Amino acid sequence: MANIEDHGGQSKAARAVSGGVLLAAGLVISFFAWGYPTGSLNQMGPGFFPQTIGILISLLAVTILIVDLRHPALERPSAIQWRGLCFVSVGIIIFALLVERAGLVPSMFLAVGVSMFADDQAKPLTVLIYAITAAALGWLLFLVGLELPIPAFWRL
Amino acid sequence: MFKKLLTTLPLMAALALPAAAQEFPDRALRIVHGFGPGGNADTVARIVAEEMSKGLGQPVVVESRPGAGGTVASGYVSNEDPDGYTMQLMVGGHAVAAGLYESLPYESVDGFTFISTLGQFPFIVAARSGEYESMEALIAAAAAAPGTIKIGHSGVGSTQHLTGELLDLRTDADFLHIPYKGGAAASTALMGGEVDVVIDTGTVIRPQAEAGVYDILAITSGERWPDAPDVPTVSETVAEGFDVVSWTGIGMPAGVPDEIADRIRSEVHAALAATSVNDMISSLGAQPSPSTGEEMTALIEDQISVWTDVIESAGIEKR
Amino acid sequence: MLDQFILGLSVVMQPNVLIYAFFGVFLGQLIGVLPGVGAITAISLLLPVTFYLDATTSMILLAGIYYGSQYGGSIASILLNLPGTPSSVVTCLEGYPLAQSNRAGLALFVAAFSSFLGGMVGVAVLVLAAIPMTVIALKFGAPEYAMLVIIGLLAASMIGTGSQIRSLAMVVLGIALGLVGADATTGYYRFVAMPELADGISLVSLAMGLFGVSEVIRHASRRPMRGAAPLSVSMRDVIPTRAQAKSLVFPIVRGSSIGSFFGALPGTGAAIASFMAYAIEKRFSRKPEKFGTGHLPGLAAPESANNAASQTGFIPTLTLGVPGDAVMALIIGALILNGIIPGPRLMVDQPELFWGVIASFFVGNIILLLINIPLIKLWVLLLRIPYQKLYPMILLMICVGVYSHRTSVTDVLLTLAFGILGYLMKNYRFEPAPVLLGFVLGPLLEDNFRRTMLLYGGDFTIFVTRPISAVLFVCSVILIVWALWSCLSLRRKVARTSP
Repeated sequence: MANIEDHGGQSKAARAVSGGVLLAAGLVISFFAWGYPTGSLNQMGPGFFPQTIGILISLLAVTILIVDLRHPALERPSAIQWRGLCFVSVGIIIFALLVERAGLVPSMFLAVGVSMFADDQAKPLTVLIYAITAAALGWLLFLVGLELPIPAFWRL
Repeated sequence: MFKKLLTTLPLMAALALPAAAQEFPDRALRIVHGFGPGGNADTVARIVAEEMSKGLGQPVVVESRPGAGGTVASGYVSNEDPDGYTMQLMVGGHAVAAGLYESLPYESVDGFTFISTLGQFPFIVAARSGEYESMEALIAAAAAAPGTIKIGHSGVGSTQHLTGELLDLRTDADFLHIPYKGGAAASTALMGGEVDVVIDTGTVIRPQAEAGVYDILAITSGERWPDAPDVPTVSETVAEGFDVVSWTGIGMPAGVPDEIADRIRSEVHAALAATSVNDMISSLGAQPSPSTGEEMTALIEDQISVWTDVIESAGIEKR
Repeated sequence: MLDQFILGLSVVMQPNVLIYAFFGVFLGQLIGVLPGVGAITAISLLLPVTFYLDATTSMILLAGIYYGSQYGGSIASILLNLPGTPSSVVTCLEGYPLAQSNRAGLALFVAAFSSFLGGMVGVAVLVLAAIPMTVIALKFGAPEYAMLVIIGLLAASMIGTGSQIRSLAMVVLGIALGLVGADATTGYYRFVAMPELADGISLVSLAMGLFGVSEVIRHASRRPMRGAAPLSVSMRDVIPTRAQAKSLVFPIVRGSSIGSFFGALPGTGAAIASFMAYAIEKRFSRKPEKFGTGHLPGLAAPESANNAASQTGFIPTLTLGVPGDAVMALIIGALILNGIIPGPRLMVDQPELFWGVIASFFVGNIILLLINIPLIKLWVLLLRIPYQKLYPMILLMICVGVYSHRTSVTDVLLTLAFGILGYLMKNYRFEPAPVLLGFVLGPLLEDNFRRTMLLYGGDFTIFVTRPISAVLFVCSVILIVWALWSCLSLRRKVARTSP
């Protein structure tokens, strides 16, 4: 998915991105699927379907590639929202890494706090208050209300 | 909160928790299991947890960590601290997994402190009503026409599947084994005529048998089962010595101090004596079976060797 | 049948039963709104409670949670683009655009009312035709399911707004994602990059990622994403006009019929029903270009379908004792706790339970409608909150919901990965809905197709020699021809209009 950053507008290369990435995916799937046993028709092996699917994706990708390259006025993909992408990602990753170590409440607090900076007008104090409120509400809803079996603070 | 609201809603008898203050346990315990919420394992775990929390004076929460036939949960539990706060609800699949997986993230026997079995249950061999007169007739038919009589089972590598394969190995029969997603789907296929035989637990088979839809041909335990003394065993009809009984039980990570293991064991046994747990286990077609840790270990070691053999002889793909 | 239904009503109308029916649907509705926290979590939580209740009341409570959560699921889909279940994915397609153009109240009203009507049709089918439907359901073997799923996949590729070929590619990509994990027929591991993937990708991760997280990434830093919702909502903005209502009659009739039928087939259920209904509406519509922009019939049909299906989904459970899905298995578990093992004799041995539960669906749907209409105003107020203050809570609920679903950290990280994927996909004009449908249907196709081959010795003719399968085969051929034809004619039209 590396070349997806290269969205230059309507150059040939840019128009080939969607078909190209999909083709790569199809080839990767086919590559792995070829290692799985195919079996026979009445005893189909685990490889039969993945191989079919890999070929099918590749064929569809080629079709898309051709259609896109011949398309006269292809819609330009919108610019990537780097700020949103980064802070949302980091927020979720923090949640994932902390929930089994620090417990639900701290991880909710940090996930909300970090992800709020995806908004470029976020102010630290607002974020702090908001994250505390969110963690408290989350605690009420998930632990008190729904009694989900997740520790609030790990082993405390 | 909702739970409490609902239990007390029409002034149901309130359950007073005994306020026994002891050193162990001083916080919540958990029962981990490796199956989706809603399966039999989950239900059993919840009922047992509810009972045990009364005796322990601490909440016992149930945690579902499904994955790879329960081995994700086993790997998780066996790596937890042996402090007595983490238990696992285990099922017969624990012994099957030892033979089925190329590598496991835990030691099937040495990685655990086995506490006690909860219940043991046999499987039932059933066919549509009127199709086969007896177990002998079924095996004779399956021997006469190899590869045509179809057994529907609840998934590759399930104890149900392996029991069918074991039947192939121990008799002249040669069945075609058809995998379904769960016993209910296999049972539907039997009703609809897609397969000829289903081997599954009493929960799946009995209601249909009582309604006259299925005939019960045999039961897989070595001896006749106390709940169904009229049903012949596979052993006495077609394969002498055939004995398949599955189980559920409680295990903990290896290295739990003896006094804590004993405490948990006595709570498990107390829970098993409670009517709610007893009824639940019986209604699942199982026999409540409090045991010692040694008995449970012996049972698991025995089953590991049986299933590893079956998996190898039947040529089932290892994972 | 009617006198038995009245017997059932008399059971439900007892105050101490009625209050549980009320609490069940209410709780279900609340939980359905939470993304990722599904009916299963709520039901398994309440399972020990049912031990203190009799069998009928427990079942009414748990069943209420189940179909109540279907109502709730559409709320999160319409307001926040968060489909909790595959069946609410199509609700997002029309509902979310409506909410973004300040017509959330109308969308919620139409969704609630079509759900109600669909639910009622489902109950009627349950009362009048439970046994014949059971007989039909049992006629569906592996070949029939395989053909049915193929039709479903074709329908799935038609629901996108963009090019058909891109939608089809996304369906196939969805099937590919569904291949991850242990193969159901042999247990062989495919694409298992880490042990946590052995059971496959979780549907909740995929749905929450592709729809929820991607939407948050897209709009978190961009403002304003929508005009502020009006401060107060008058009932006039909520209730459809006469003309709008008229345009919804047939979609609801078609949706409910499709839902009632698919619901009764164990294992396929509400998901297939809802997007089949959507695809058919789009095909039948004289304005297919309006779909995807907040077209009311495209909201009403699948909503009525999935609620009809969630009622007829009880058919195999009640008449055969065979649970159609995990939720049904849980409900059966509750009956077992009460010493009743449901089976074919349930209707005869326990008429009060059987009919009481069915009557509770009737009452429950009315309760749901009554609590939903006033709540609409409240839900719309939620959109008063600026998106910048709303999205952290959305993320929080997604994280906790996904994590608690299988107690899996990997699932949370996968949700993020799918969120980024969904975000990039949309930038390149690929739509997420077909991916999800391919993901749900792909494994069903492989499973049933391979089982067919195993059962009938690799004989392909089985698909046309079994009567039901043959009919389905013809249907799928018609669908393919139709799709190709409309694709070509569309191209001709485009060629004519563009210089």
